Amino acid sequence: MIPLTHFLIVGACLFAAGLYAVLARRNAILVLVGIELMINASILNLVAFGRYDKTLYGGQVFALFAIVLAAAAVAVALAIILNVYKFHKSVNPEDIKNLKD
Amino acid sequence: MPATALTYPLLAALSAVLLPFLGFLLSAALGKKAGNGAIAISAISLSLLAAGYAFSQVWNQEPIHVQWNWFTVGSQEFHVGLMLDNMAVLMLVLVCLIALPVHIYSAAYMKGDPGIHRYWTYLSLFCFAMLGLVVADNLLLMYVCWELVGFASYLLIGFWFTKDAAVQANKKAFIVNRIGDLGFLIGIALTYSHLGTLDTGALVAAPETLPAPWLTVAGLAFFLGAMAKSAQFPLHVWLPDAMEGPTSVSSLIHAATMVAAGVFLLARIFPVFNETVLLVIAATGAITALVAAYFALTQFDIKKILAFSTISQLGFMMVGIGIGMYPVALFHLSTHAFFKCLLFLCAGAVIHEMQHIKETHGLAIDPQDIRNMGGLRKYMPLTFAAMLIASLALAGFPFTSGYLSKDALIVHSFEWAALQPGAAKLIPYVLALVSMLTSFYILRLLAKVFFGAFSVASANGTIRPHEVPAKMLVPMLFLAGCSLFPLFSIHPLNDGHVWLMQGLTTTVSTLPPLRMLHLVIPLLTASATCVAATVAWHWYVNGRYPLKTTGLFYRLSQNQGYLDTLYDATVVRPILRLSRLLLWTDHYIVDRAVNGLAALGRSFAATAAWIDQRLVDGLVRLVGKLAWGLGNVFRRLQTGRVQHYFTTLFLLILVILLYHIVVLL
Amino acid sequence: MDQIPGRKGGGQKELMSMTALLFYGFATVAIASAWLLVSIRNIARSLFLFFIVLFSVAGLYVFALADFVAITQILVYVGGVLVLMLFAFMLSNKELLKDLQVGVSHFFALPAWQSAVIAASFLAVLIYTSLQLGAEEPSWISASREKDTVIMPTDQTIQHIGVQLMTRYLLPFEIVSVLLMAALIGAAHLTRKEAKP
Repeated sequence: MIPLTHFLIVGACLFAAGLYAVLARRNAILVLVGIELMINASILNLVAFGRYDKTLYGGQVFALFAIVLAAAAVAVALAIILNVYKFHKSVNPEDIKNLKD
Repeated sequence: MPATALTYPLLAALSAVLLPFLGFLLSAALGKKAGNGAIAISAISLSLLAAGYAFSQVWNQEPIHVQWNWFTVGSQEFHVGLMLDNMAVLMLVLVCLIALPVHIYSAAYMKGDPGIHRYWTYLSLFCFAMLGLVVADNLLLMYVCWELVGFASYLLIGFWFTKDAAVQANKKAFIVNRIGDLGFLIGIALTYSHLGTLDTGALVAAPETLPAPWLTVAGLAFFLGAMAKSAQFPLHVWLPDAMEGPTSVSSLIHAATMVAAGVFLLARIFPVFNETVLLVIAATGAITALVAAYFALTQFDIKKILAFSTISQLGFMMVGIGIGMYPVALFHLSTHAFFKCLLFLCAGAVIHEMQHIKETHGLAIDPQDIRNMGGLRKYMPLTFAAMLIASLALAGFPFTSGYLSKDALIVHSFEWAALQPGAAKLIPYVLALVSMLTSFYILRLLAKVFFGAFSVASANGTIRPHEVPAKMLVPMLFLAGCSLFPLFSIHPLNDGHVWLMQGLTTTVSTLPPLRMLHLVIPLLTASATCVAATVAWHWYVNGRYPLKTTGLFYRLSQNQGYLDTLYDATVVRPILRLSRLLLWTDHYIVDRAVNGLAALGRSFAATAAWIDQRLVDGLVRLVGKLAWGLGNVFRRLQTGRVQHYFTTLFLLILVILLYHIVVLL
Repeated sequence: MDQIPGRKGGGQKELMSMTALLFYGFATVAIASAWLLVSIRNIARSLFLFFIVLFSVAGLYVFALADFVAITQILVYVGGVLVLMLFAFMLSNKELLKDLQVGVSHFFALPAWQSAVIAASFLAVLIYTSLQLGAEEPSWISASREKDTVIMPTDQTIQHIGVQLMTRYLLPFEIVSVLLMAALIGAAHLTRKEAKP
């Protein structure tokens, strides 16, 4: 069917995009979106490799767990972002420098 | 043989020596309270009694010699001891007998002086030192006393130390005496090196232990010591200047006793001197006598005339030693002590009166200048009488003690010269000439002071000098009595009966006597004295002075042969220049060197400090700065911005992955 | 049988089969949306593009023969996460809507070059590794191919996943559920309104 490498390349592209978003975007929500993209890329990887595991279905089951965890992460992250905004009046990660040395 | 038993004469001699020392300590301790001199006078009186007793026990008896161990250097012992023979006890009595009248006289003369307590202290010190010198049995002890005597003289010459002239004089006396002391020390060293001991007895017993050239050197060295102390030409220059001290001091020290110490030393160690040295001594003595008499002819200061007279008579004594007749020298020393002391005391009386007149009437005169005096015979008759006797004794007029000693000297010198070759024959003629000159200058002094008109009174008729008080007169009269013949000899005109000489001439070789001279010489000297008296009267009393005062010989005499100028130019100035040079060296070279070293050390220290501060501390601080800089660099990573942290994180992961791919390919 | 060229159909002799085509289509959409979403400035549009990415990725899951995962992706991610984000975004303060990059008026946000370089490098590394993987298959994949334990399209994955979840993966399952509960409680606590005194 579809060769393994194709999936992996797609996942790589998604990961790169997510990485870029995390590193470069000035809005905390878009950073979160970037994180989500990276998680999605990793789930794609899991699923792609899981095709060759019929005995344990490990890839797919772990993919399910990953999805759940990503959701939890989003929830908590959004709560944090809201609190950060209440305190700093800004969602720009550049502006949150209280831990600067 | 040294005996350690303390016999009475020994105790007497010891107490005679030590009593003045006790007096010195007490006076020094009491300070200003010792002003009345009772301590000093009582000490010297007791000393006289003790000395008299010792004399009576030892004269013409067995000599007493006692020694104690003083200190040890390595394996060599040095002793302190007393040698009481005829010479020593004679001197002991003589010194005390002269010192006591002077002490009594001083009580009146120095009355009212603010420093009189010091005077008594120094005088006691002097007496102690002089008495110690005459009884010392070894050269070391004698040298110690010699130095002490010189020191006491220094203190007393400079008694009025606020006067610049006095300070200069005492310095001069000390320095010139130092030259002599050098000679004495060389003699001591030679003695010690050849004999191994410093006992005078040992030296006298075996002088041939010193090999021939060293014997001459030792003899000359000892004579050098005596030269300075007894003011022989050319080391006599200190004695005229020493007249800056009080007159009583001059009478005791610089006429009778201290200056006689040199003669005494030579008499003590007489066997050491060989032919050559004796000839030198005689020649020096003759020259001194002549030169001093020449200088005395034109002096105007009464004390300076007497000082030159002392030098001249000391020359006589040296000749006495030089011709081998040291008993005659000692005899002349004894008689000279009495009449010279008396001369000074009379001069002191006159000066005292002149000073009194000067102060009462506010005159600006020099109380010691004979030109300011004259005709004092009327006002001070007893002083005149005493001075006349003393002057006659000095001139060697018959019936005085001086006649006996001086004529003995001259006669013996003729006897000696008869045996000598060459120029030595001149010596007695020189002595005869000096004798005549002596008569002249002393009668000149008498004429100018006591005869004629009182020059100060001529302007103001109310000035009247008075006779001096009894405390001064009695000692003078006592000494006048001692200056006449009865003290020394039964026969007034013949020196063969002098008990003193008879006591001393035991081991000395006698010269073949020339009987004729015993008649001729006295006649010659007596007539010369009369002639001189006439001439002096004519010139000075009647005022018919024929010579020019600006002639060469006159000026040479008055300025003491310009010897002082010579010494100043040849010795004093070079030494001062040398000391200035040394000062310059010390200041500019040595101090600069030391400062340079210090500066060098400082610069080293500065360099070390710089190194420590800049390099070492810098190194340490550099390490700190590096750590800080490195930390600072990494601090920039902590921006507080989460995206930067992410960047770093992913960068590192990338690097790791690349490493795995590239390296582990 | 002779085929008409260019006609879409399920033929095995086609240069590009239908599955491949669809796969590449979904892949392209996913990737393009992802790259677009990280580039544009408008956040609302980014979120909608994210929505498209999620759907495309769900489609890709299907091609990996993980149909249950795809459904779960749609249900949970799209229906839960995305909606949550949209709500949080839309119903929150107006300040949050602003893209806070100063002085830029383009449609695209200027890329920060360090991040672009790092992202590109990661992409390169990952692609390279993937190609390596393709060149030489891991041993366990070869082993499973031989043992014929590769999931076939005809397998009933749901049934097997269910069985595995209740037997082998029970513990992780429970833990994840507890974690989820904790996270949600925490999030709720974080955002509670303080009682006014």
